[in-house]
Amino acid sequence: MFNRLTVFIVAIVLSAVSFQAQTPAQRATGIPRMTDGKPNFTGLWQALGTAYWDIRDHGAQNGPFYQLGATGAMPAGQGIVEGGEIPYKPEAAAKQKENLKNRLLLDPEVKCFMPGVPRGTYMPFPFQIIQSQRDIAIAYEYATANRVINMGKPKEGAVDTWMGTSNGRWEGDTLVVDVTGLNGQSWFDRSGNFMSENVHIIERYTFADADHLNYEATIEDNTIFTRPWKISLPLYRRKEKNAQLNEFKCVEFAEELLYGHLRKK
Amino acid sequence: MTYRVLILVILLMMTLTSATTLLAQTKAAKAYTQPKTPWGDPDLQGTWTSDDCINTPMQRPANLGDKLYLTDEELTQREAAIARQAENDKQQFVAANAQANVNPPGHWGERARRPCRQTSLVIDPPSGRTPDLTPEVQARVVPRGAGNNPASWEDFSFYIRCISRGVAGSILPVIYGNGTQILQGPGYVLLLQEMVHEARVIPLDNRPHAGSNVRSYMGDSRGRWEGNTLVVETTNFLAGKTGIGLNGGGTPTSDALKLTERFTRVDPNTINYEMTIDDPKVYTKPWKVGFPIAQEPGYQNFEYACHEGNNAMFNSLSGARAAEKAAEKK
Repeated sequence: MFNRLTVFIVAIVLSAVSFQAQTPAQRATGIPRMTDGKPNFTGLWQALGTAYWDIRDHGAQNGPFYQLGATGAMPAGQGIVEGGEIPYKPEAAAKQKENLKNRLLLDPEVKCFMPGVPRGTYMPFPFQIIQSQRDIAIAYEYATANRVINMGKPKEGAVDTWMGTSNGRWEGDTLVVDVTGLNGQSWFDRSGNFMSENVHIIERYTFADADHLNYEATIEDNTIFTRPWKISLPLYRRKEKNAQLNEFKCVEFAEELLYGHLRKK
Repeated sequence: MTYRVLILVILLMMTLTSATTLLAQTKAAKAYTQPKTPWGDPDLQGTWTSDDCINTPMQRPANLGDKLYLTDEELTQREAAIARQAENDKQQFVAANAQANVNPPGHWGERARRPCRQTSLVIDPPSGRTPDLTPEVQARVVPRGAGNNPASWEDFSFYIRCISRGVAGSILPVIYGNGTQILQGPGYVLLLQEMVHEARVIPLDNRPHAGSNVRSYMGDSRGRWEGNTLVVETTNFLAGKTGIGLNGGGTPTSDALKLTERFTRVDPNTINYEMTIDDPKVYTKPWKVGFPIAQEPGYQNFEYACHEGNNAMFNSLSGARAAEKAAEKK
């Protein structure tokens, strides 16, 4: 009897010690958690800043349409690229400049195409994360784009898509999402920064505190870039009492632009 | 030798275990217990399809009167028809001398796996037919369809334009893309629908609806649990866009539309879905559609990049303009 009790106590002590050993490195306090102790990312999140114009450092500039006056101008902003520079191969650097010059014809955002990853994260729209006991979904307000992060056995996408195939895993309190199967037609911003269909993106979502996330994405694409590179930015929880994901079905805002020349005269 | 015996024993144990599991499953199916999420909500998660009711008409043929369900004999006939269809779908090529058609091959579409017992998707009124339209709507001139000569994209439906099929149009069974993936988190239900990649975020915290100027194609949804049933109430719709029909067709609803949907999981692979349509500006009384949606092994949603690949819109409009030019020359 005494023996059994001893074993029981030792077991409890041991489990408490191992639990505590994890604490400083992995268990932030004061953040929302699921019943199993995993961080709960459910909520409405949004980036601030102007990375949606250009993920690199940029000064304020004229917008493309003078009719919009100050409301159509591009505000200045600090970049989100670590180290400041995107390591383009020379021919890719030239293509980015071409993209920028022909932005109104080529930018998928202008046409209301799905934003892809990571662009959807830092557009001037919120996105809703809904986290289940298994998978995690992200619904973006822009274009009703969405994706489900598979948290089970990693799956390969059947075909390349705009939003890619997301396989997630936990590294302590960090949600790591491996994104493959992107179709390479998405841009990073309105300045023509681009990728190819060989792109592989690894995202990391970590709570800084209850209402802030640190977002990081590592971009690997040896067709376009000389080495992997990284963006990082904070995400803010929308705190307005009545904040919610609204509908921005932008197709009808792009139809005149896309098909206007085919209208019956 | 001993090794072999060991393997035999292991195999025997595995068989016994699986037999016990099977027995347990059979028992569970008989007395279905609604599983709960770890935070205590009824768990409706999975990908559910309305495929089985593909062949069920929206409105009941008048000669069937108030008969909502098929007889066992009629059901058997439908089963046989589904089996025949499945056999046809397996044909990769048109047989020699058979008449070819311009329709896509059978495997492009989704099919019922078992027949829906209902005779119509409209379940109330008892006639299975939609109530009369209000006199104001009846008096309205119905815009002519685009036909072969669309003047602009506005001559096409909101579905063809890849904007939306509306709430009803996104779940009513059509040729394909009938999946609704339900994902739940604490305080929320999310419905993901394949065609036009709809994502309906449904908060469960009793918050009031958005202000009445915030109107949208998919409306503003609020959910609550009534026992194990998810009840979703949706308002704030745009007026005159989609209707309560396949792919959002039918008479466009008004800004007074209120939809009340009920999702009840009745066994591991079936949810009974019901929608009450209350639009006093369009229909003389509220009415209901309802049908089962089912989980099928291997059924999943894919990304449906509708607008991104909408070459049909470009081709239809440029074709119409080219035809006009050719006619002018004559």
